[in-house]
Amino acid sequence: MSGRTISDKVIDEHTLDDDRSAQYRRVRVDAVLGHDATTALLIDDFERRGLSIWDKSKVLLTNDHFAPPATAERADISNKFLGWARGQGMPNLMLDKGICHQLLVEHELCQPGGLIVGADSHTIMAGAVGACATGMGATDILFTLATGETWMRKPASIAVRLRGELPEESGGRDVVLELLRLLGEAGAQYRSLEFHDETTTRLPQDDRFAIANMAVEIGAKFGVFAPDEVTEAYCTARDGRFLGNPVRPDADAVYERVVELDVTDLTARVAKPWSPGNVVPITELEEIPITSAFLGSCASGRLADIAAAAAEVEGKRVHPDVRFVVIPASVEVFKQALRAGYVETLTEAGAQFNHSSCGACGGIDKGVLGSADVCVSSSNRNFRGRMGHWDSRTYLASPRTVARAALRGALTPDLYRAGAALPGGTEEAS
Amino acid sequence: MTAPTTGRVWRFGDDVNTDVIHPPAFYSLDPDKVRRGLFHGYDPAIARDVRPGDVFVAGRNFGCGSSRETSIRAIKLNQVGAVVAVDFARIFFRNATNNGLPCLTPARPADLDLVEAGSRVTLDPVAATLTCADGTVVDLVPPGEFVRRIWAAGGLLNLLPGSAGG
Ligand code: SF4
Repeated sequence: MSGRTISDKVIDEHTLDDDRSAQYRRVRVDAVLGHDATTALLIDDFERRGLSIWDKSKVLLTNDHFAPPATAERADISNKFLGWARGQGMPNLMLDKGICHQLLVEHELCQPGGLIVGADSHTIMAGAVGACATGMGATDILFTLATGETWMRKPASIAVRLRGELPEESGGRDVVLELLRLLGEAGAQYRSLEFHDETTTRLPQDDRFAIANMAVEIGAKFGVFAPDEVTEAYCTARDGRFLGNPVRPDADAVYERVVELDVTDLTARVAKPWSPGNVVPITELEEIPITSAFLGSCASGRLADIAAAAAEVEGKRVHPDVRFVVIPASVEVFKQALRAGYVETLTEAGAQFNHSSCGACGGIDKGVLGSADVCVSSSNRNFRGRMGHWDSRTYLASPRTVARAALRGALTPDLYRAGAALPGGTEEAS
Repeated sequence: MTAPTTGRVWRFGDDVNTDVIHPPAFYSLDPDKVRRGLFHGYDPAIARDVRPGDVFVAGRNFGCGSSRETSIRAIKLNQVGAVVAVDFARIFFRNATNNGLPCLTPARPADLDLVEAGSRVTLDPVAATLTCADGTVVDLVPPGEFVRRIWAAGGLLNLLPGSAGG
């Protein structure tokens, strides 16, 4: 018998059917994630059918899209969601605590080796700690809430081997944008992307979250990191002790394809409108004046991201033509950023903080773009019209690039070149 | 629910994402608002001119992006009969199937070039054929057993234990 990948093993371990050769497996799940916007869509059916939740302790719910709501209609939707969740007596209902995907990875429901489904495509991000996690629609999630089960095909796996030493100016976002450039928007469709971190210094956990998050932009069903000492350290610090059941691939695991990526010379990457797959090295970009800079979203609103931006803007001023909005991915991240002084540094530089939520990422809340706006964003999607007006333009980049562009007032090919002049007469250190 | 559908063809390209299919500004629990949002930024005429039974024909990776089922609801509320694409994004395909919107792929992708925008076609989801006005038949990939089971039940929720179809 040939060796198994991580997703092969995790699905086998969760299979309920005896017939393991069936195209679709009936599987049990370890956790379910839901937020206000998608969960609200299933409440009427749930109540009409008189259903009950199979195991409330395994469900994590939060309001993050409308948090707090900006219109009366959204307040009503939010209240419907919160009223239902409270009525069900959900133990893990998190009110205004941040973006659901970040709250999941901050919670002990999210473990290596777990099988997790959520009513949002970026549920895949939990793969950064070695879980097989995937997004589904409201109807699938309603079924799972009632039964604890779902159906899944065993996906083929693509191994991504990351090697070399990541330059200081680059991060997980640049890695995943480079993978998008190599594989395209459908490059991992229906596949499990299995990440093997063989870099010399090992990618920090926050970089792994950024990579796993955007695996869905490559079309993947799972984006799972082979668990290692970084995973164990993260989970142990979070849970007080290590509770996971790390699943690693067999040495002779069968992959449909192996992608080797040496990150040693990886420079900043930018995805141009209107596709996350439209990626170029920043040095090949023409100069793009911007009106808006956004640091946030489930893709990149974590402490390391805010720290990188704070380091860039320390003692400098955001360009007067730019609105720089920062949204920490969770209240916990916000508190850590406060304690570390990053919030003050960024605020002094002219950035503004919004409450932990999706914000302008999905064109939902404060910071939405008008027709003439050009935004550089650390979010995960620059689809046409997603952040606001149909004619607005969004460039996806790393938090560091977002901060540099906010200072410069533009995305420029020389944003990382030593000594490039910045407004206010300051010189870049690197 | 999976009876043949007859209507006009609307053509789309590759990588049509859910934010284009249904812009976030039209997210709502109000069916009329959801219905009006279909392809709003891309071409507001679509929601105005689409007729019951019409068929969407697209390229690769149709429906990539968000898991919001409002994109499926918008297509269904406009009574589009089926979607044919070279292939579908995973979550979109599941959502559509769960809600009884047939999504089919051509047996030979190049055949979709024969299907002209605005032409009248008849699509039979069970027989897996798309018949053009001039009688040309495009073979589609027959739906798998699991998809047919959900169609036969009238949607995934009818497979819940204790439901009529379960
Ligand atoms: S931050 Fe953006 S991508 Fe993440 S869940 Fe919210 S809307 Fe979706």
